[in-house]
Amino acid sequence: MSAVSFWLIALVAIAGAWTVLVARETIRLIAGLGTFLLGIAGLYLRFAMPLLAASQVFLYVGGVLALFLFAIMALRRDEDRAGPAVRFSVVHASVAAGIFAVLVTALRDVGAASVDVTAGQDAVDAVGALLLGRFLPAFELVGGLLFVALVAVLAISAGEDRR
Amino acid sequence: MSGIVVACLLFSLGLYGVLTRREIVAVLASIEVMLGGATLLLVVLSSTYGTGAGTAAGANTAASGQAVALLLLAVVAAEAAVGLAVLVSLVRHGKTGVDDIQRVRG
Amino acid sequence: MGVLTANAYLAVLVPLLASAAVGVFGRRSMQLSCWGALAGSVSVLAVGVACVLEPAGRRSVSLGWLASSSGELTIGWHADGLAAIMLVVVGVVASAVVVFSLGYMRRDPDPGRYFALIALFTASMSALVLADSLVTLFVGWELVGACSYLLIGFWYDKPSAADAARKAFIVTRVGDAGFMLGLAVLWGATGTLAIPEVLGRVAALPASTATVAALLLFAGAAGKSAQFPLHVWLPDAMEGPTPVSALIHAATMVAAGVFLVARMWPLFAASPAALQVVLVIGCVTALGAATIAVTQTDIKKVLAYSTISQLGFMFAALGSGAWVAAVFHLVTHAAFKSLLFLASGSVIHGSGTQDLRDMGGLWRKMPLTAGTWMVGVLALAGIPPLAGFFSKDAVIGAVMQRSVPAGAALVAASLLTGLYAFRATQLAFFGRWRGDVQDVAESPAVMTAPLLALAVAAAASGAAAGPVSRLLGAEAEPLSIPIAVMSVVAALIGCLIGSGVWGRDAGVENALPRWLERWWMAARSGYGIDDLYRRVVVRPVIGVAAISYVLVERVIIDGIVEGIGRATRRLGHGAAELQNGDPQRYAAWIAVGAIAAVAVTVWLGR
Repeated sequence: MSAVSFWLIALVAIAGAWTVLVARETIRLIAGLGTFLLGIAGLYLRFAMPLLAASQVFLYVGGVLALFLFAIMALRRDEDRAGPAVRFSVVHASVAAGIFAVLVTALRDVGAASVDVTAGQDAVDAVGALLLGRFLPAFELVGGLLFVALVAVLAISAGEDRR
Repeated sequence: MSGIVVACLLFSLGLYGVLTRREIVAVLASIEVMLGGATLLLVVLSSTYGTGAGTAAGANTAASGQAVALLLLAVVAAEAAVGLAVLVSLVRHGKTGVDDIQRVRG
Repeated sequence: MGVLTANAYLAVLVPLLASAAVGVFGRRSMQLSCWGALAGSVSVLAVGVACVLEPAGRRSVSLGWLASSSGELTIGWHADGLAAIMLVVVGVVASAVVVFSLGYMRRDPDPGRYFALIALFTASMSALVLADSLVTLFVGWELVGACSYLLIGFWYDKPSAADAARKAFIVTRVGDAGFMLGLAVLWGATGTLAIPEVLGRVAALPASTATVAALLLFAGAAGKSAQFPLHVWLPDAMEGPTPVSALIHAATMVAAGVFLVARMWPLFAASPAALQVVLVIGCVTALGAATIAVTQTDIKKVLAYSTISQLGFMFAALGSGAWVAAVFHLVTHAAFKSLLFLASGSVIHGSGTQDLRDMGGLWRKMPLTAGTWMVGVLALAGIPPLAGFFSKDAVIGAVMQRSVPAGAALVAASLLTGLYAFRATQLAFFGRWRGDVQDVAESPAVMTAPLLALAVAAAASGAAAGPVSRLLGAEAEPLSIPIAVMSVVAALIGCLIGSGVWGRDAGVENALPRWLERWWMAARSGYGIDDLYRRVVVRPVIGVAAISYVLVERVIIDGIVEGIGRATRRLGHGAAELQNGDPQRYAAWIAVGAIAAVAVTVWLGR
């Protein structure tokens, strides 16, 4: 049962990713990306990490995806095509396959242990304590990074307007 | 094991997209896919190592994975924001394809 | 005074700083440059005088410099009597030359460079004489050589001056190669290059090692002091400004070879064979150069060959074991030869020529110059009671005791000395004026004052025999009456022939008897030694250079270089393909790299 639910959710994510790969219209591309992101969130839920799943939905589906949509609309492009069809490239496919093979090989020993689906349960307070405790420097750093990114986005767009 | 395979597969799919898509929007979306796969891998691994039969150490490791994943979310969000801003800026100059930004080099 | 004796390094430091200051700030101002250089030379003189007067306050300091497993090189100063004498000589001559230059170089557009180099030379010379280790000495030795090079070629836009500078540098380099080998031998044999320690260990050296080391050092000395067969650079060096010739190529630097042998005296004393070589070279040089001097028509070349000849006297004295007499002759020679050079500078300055055939009767027009020149000439010829008499007598006496033929050669050389000295005097100052310029006038006071000062030194420094000997820790040799009579008679004969023959007819050289004419022409060209070097050394070197140019430069080096260039270009085209700006291609390569990295990690971690 658990394996079936896992693979179902995983297939959703994979299908979303595949759409991103092959979509010819921008709007379908965005839809695929959304599907992929929701699938990832589902997998987080499947691993009993509701906090992460919620954050994924809020941040990605609500934030990044909306950002993508805004960007596409801001371009006001007449044709909503995302470009010509993607031609299959043996070279690039083998590079991607190589990464896959090498990663799976490297992680084979680690993955031999079965995933304990309950390990992350009720870990929300532990995550909060970590973020504001041991990971505080990293947490602050990410805050700084977001701020810099905000300024950078403003600078890039403002610079455009001035020109 | 299956979690790891799925994560690696997503990462590789994203990479293939990054390498082959000719439009900047699609490349950015593919990057999101890669990052999603990577974050998933991180979470899966932390859960695996968190298999400590309910020990404090095991729970802590799993929580660490989640915490790092959360931080990654924020980083990815920043990346997407800047990337899209650059995209908008490029499109205003009439450039939407990867081929158009080949001049942007050292 | 005590400060000066305890800190003898000031004799190096002050001129060095003066040189830097003059070089930086004195570019346009003649006065400023001159005062800077004068401060440098006066400080050398002050330190020298202080060291002479206060032997008790003299200090030798040796500081660690470069430590290695086989020994330590030191840097420091060794202010003993010999160094004190040399400092006084350098200080006096340099001061006189600097003041004289103020007049002589009056119209030169680049006084800053000139006086900066003079001050740098003074500093280098002080470093040379104060050196406590052979390495420091060698540094000073090379520095004075470099200054000599730069000052001979001071008027570098004149090709002959530039050639002469290069010749001086290269010829002395031949000797310096020997010097360096000598240093290596001493280092290997004694394990140190600190002069007192080397000399302390000389007694323990095997005779052959001592001979080899002494001869190698003598090669350096012969190059610097223009001894046969390395003398060929000094006559050409006269291309430099005349005050430079007075300072560097008469009084100080060329005497450095004598100083070196005197400094390393125990080493030479340990090797009779080496001393024999020194004696022979000295006598050959003294006699040969004197014969050449008789035939020269350029007033400065006469003095140049005279300098070579007098340095030969000093080396003959060294070779006979009379190093104190050699140093004494060095002192008096510095006085009268720098005087003669400066006087010739005054003559050149006034008459606009340095060809004796175009002079004549100058004593009426330049009385002060003529008077001081006479003092110098008499001192050079060795006429009592002037300085040259005492020192030359000491030299000839010492050489006579050692070897009668050598002594006879020196007596003959003193006869020739009187001959060429009075020939030049007669041609320049007496007879009728043969030049084109009519308004020849006495030089200004700034030039005649140093002449007068040096004339006093040339007249009186004969009295320095006692102090010099005491400073060197030896007893002054009493005057030997038979020797004195012999050498004075020889010198007088020379003087009389010189003034008699050329006094009657200035153009006598053009109508020589056949047997004399052949010799005269040979001597005039320096016995063809330059020509010999040109044929034996220069041409083969140029030939080898031409062959190596074609073979090495064209075929091998160009082949390699251009091959590398072509290969690089091809590689570059290939690499440029990688960097064509396509970000996706970059990403693909990054991915490939990541695959490789992970694969290697996994494989190695297995």
